[in-house]
Amino acid sequence: MSLVAEAFVSQIAAAEPWPENATLYQQLKGEQILLSDNAASLAVQAFLQMCNLPVKVVCRANAEYMSPSGKVPFIHVGNQVVSELGPIVQFVKAKGHSLSDGLDEVQKAEMKAYMELVNNMLLTAELYLQWCDEATVGEITHARYGSPYPWPLNHILAYQKQWEVKRKMKAIGWGNKTLDQVLEDVDQCCQALSQRLGTQPYFFNKQPTELDALVFGHLYTILTTQLTNDELSEKVKNYSNLLAFCRRIEQHYFEDRGKGSSSISLP
Amino acid sequence: MAAPLELSCWGGGWGLPSVHSESLVVMAYAKFSGAPLKVNVIDNTWRGSRGDVPVLTSEDNIVSQPAKILNFLRKQKYNADYELSAKQGADTLAYIALLEEKLLPAMLHTFWVESDNYFSVTKPWFASQIPFPLSLILPGRMSKGALNRILLTRGEPPLYHLREVEAQIYRDAKECLNLLSNRLGTSQFFFGDTPSTLDAYVFGFLAPLYKVPFPKVQLQEHLKQLSNLCRFCDDILNSYFRLSLEGISPAGQETVDANLQKLTQLVNKESNLIEKMDDNLRQSPQLPPRKLPTLKLTPADEESNSLQRLSP
Repeated sequence: MSLVAEAFVSQIAAAEPWPENATLYQQLKGEQILLSDNAASLAVQAFLQMCNLPVKVVCRANAEYMSPSGKVPFIHVGNQVVSELGPIVQFVKAKGHSLSDGLDEVQKAEMKAYMELVNNMLLTAELYLQWCDEATVGEITHARYGSPYPWPLNHILAYQKQWEVKRKMKAIGWGNKTLDQVLEDVDQCCQALSQRLGTQPYFFNKQPTELDALVFGHLYTILTTQLTNDELSEKVKNYSNLLAFCRRIEQHYFEDRGKGSSSISLP
Repeated sequence: MAAPLELSCWGGGWGLPSVHSESLVVMAYAKFSGAPLKVNVIDNTWRGSRGDVPVLTSEDNIVSQPAKILNFLRKQKYNADYELSAKQGADTLAYIALLEEKLLPAMLHTFWVESDNYFSVTKPWFASQIPFPLSLILPGRMSKGALNRILLTRGEPPLYHLREVEAQIYRDAKECLNLLSNRLGTSQFFFGDTPSTLDAYVFGFLAPLYKVPFPKVQLQEHLKQLSNLCRFCDDILNSYFRLSLEGISPAGQETVDANLQKLTQLVNKESNLIEKMDDNLRQSPQLPPRKLPTLKLTPADEESNSLQRLSP
C-alpha cells in the first residue's frame, strides 16, 4: 500500500473500537496448514490474546488467496482486512492497544532486531525444511498443501508453490545450504533467543510484547508438529528456558481463557 | 596461525578500502581482531559473478561467505568478540539480521536498481574493474540479481511490481538507520570501547552508502543527518584503514586519541581528497613530499615522515 493509503487506513482504524466479531482466517487446521503458516497464525493469535482482544479463528481452504498480501494469517475487523503480524501490530496500535509502549528507544530497537532475527532464521529454516528438503516435501508437504483440491489441481499448486519458495531461497543465498547447515542456523538462533531471555519470564521482563508472541508462535509450532524427523524440535528442546517460556504463555493465555486452539500440551 | 591468509575482494574507491559491503565487513573484522590479511583486488571475475566474493584462501581452505569467513577467522583464534557477554553476542546476531532484512534491500536498490545511480556511478566503476568483454555482461547480471532479490523478498506474489515495494523498502531502511543510531547513542562502538563483529557489519553496510557519491541520494541524505553513525564510520576509517595506507599495521589500536578525533572532525570534508592523494603517494614514491600537502596526525601517533602538516 502506498504511504497515503496506509495513513488513511490507520485514520479509519482509529475511529472505531474493536468489534466483537473480528475473525482470523487461516488454512484448514487438520489437513492443510503447514508448519510455517501455523507458526505465523499462532503468533498473531497469541498477540491478540495478550492485548485482550477477542478474535474468532476461521479455517478456509483458500485463505492464502483471500489474503491481501498472499500470506496467512489475516484478520477481518469491521470492514478492513489486514494480513501478517507486522501490519496487524500497527493496526492494533492505531486502535489504541499496544504492548510495547512501555519500552524505551533502545529496547524498541532490540525488539525489532530480535523479531527480524526470528523471521530471518527460524521462518526461513521452516520454509527450507518444508519445501526444499526432499523427504519432508514428498511425505508431508505436497500431500497437505493440495489436499482440499481435486486432482490435478493439488499437484499443480504444490509444485508452483515449491518453485516459488526455491526461487526465494536461491535469491537470499540459502539455495546451496544443506539440511545440517540449516539446523545449525536454527540452533544459533535458539541460543541467541535463550541467552536474551535468560531467567526472565518474558523478553522484556514483566510484560509480554509482540516479540514474545512471535517467538512463542514459532517455537510452539516446532515443538508440537510431527515431521519426518525430530531434529528441528530437538534443537529447540536443548534450551530449557525456551521450553518453560512456551509452557508459561500457553498456560496463561490459551488454557486459562478456555480456548481449545492449542489443547495439545507440550511434551 | 602464521598461515598466510589471502582475501580476494572488490577494490576500493572514494576513500574506502573496498566498495563492496561484504568485502568491507571482512576487512574491518580482520583489522579489529588483528588477523594478518593480504588483500587481493580481483579482476578475474567469473567468481564475482556467482556471488562468491569475498573469498578467503588459506593453505588449502577456501571459504566464501562473510559469515563463514568470520567463523573461520574465529576458529583461527582471531576473535574480536571474546569480551562480549552472552547477551551481547545474542544482540549481535539480532542486529545483523535487522541489517540484512531492513537495510540491505534499500542499499541494493540505491546501488544497482535506481537507474540514475546505476548508470552513472555503479556500472562505470565495476566495469572499470573488470576486463573486457566481461565488463559488458557482469554489471548487468549483478543488477538483475539485486532486483531479483528485492522483489522476491519484498514483493508480493503473484504480481511483482517494483514501484510498490520501493516506498516500503526505503521506509524500512530509514527506520533501521534510526534504530541503529538510537542504539549507538554516544558511545564509541556498539559494545563499549572495543570494536566487535557488529561494528564490522554496520561499518561494512554503512560506509559505502556514506561515501560513494550518488545522484539520487535520499538514503544517503538520511544517513548524513544521523551524525553519530557518520562519526562512527569516519572513526573506523581513520583509525583502522588510514594507518594501513601508510604501510603500518594497526596491531590492535583500540581507542582513538581525543585530539585525533577533533582533527578528523575538522577536516572531514577534505578526507576524500586526502585519500586520493595518499593513493598517488603510494604509487609514485618519487614525488617530493612537499608537493602533497596531507593531513598530519598528532605527533604522538605519527610515525611515517612522509606526511606533512596541512597548510591552512
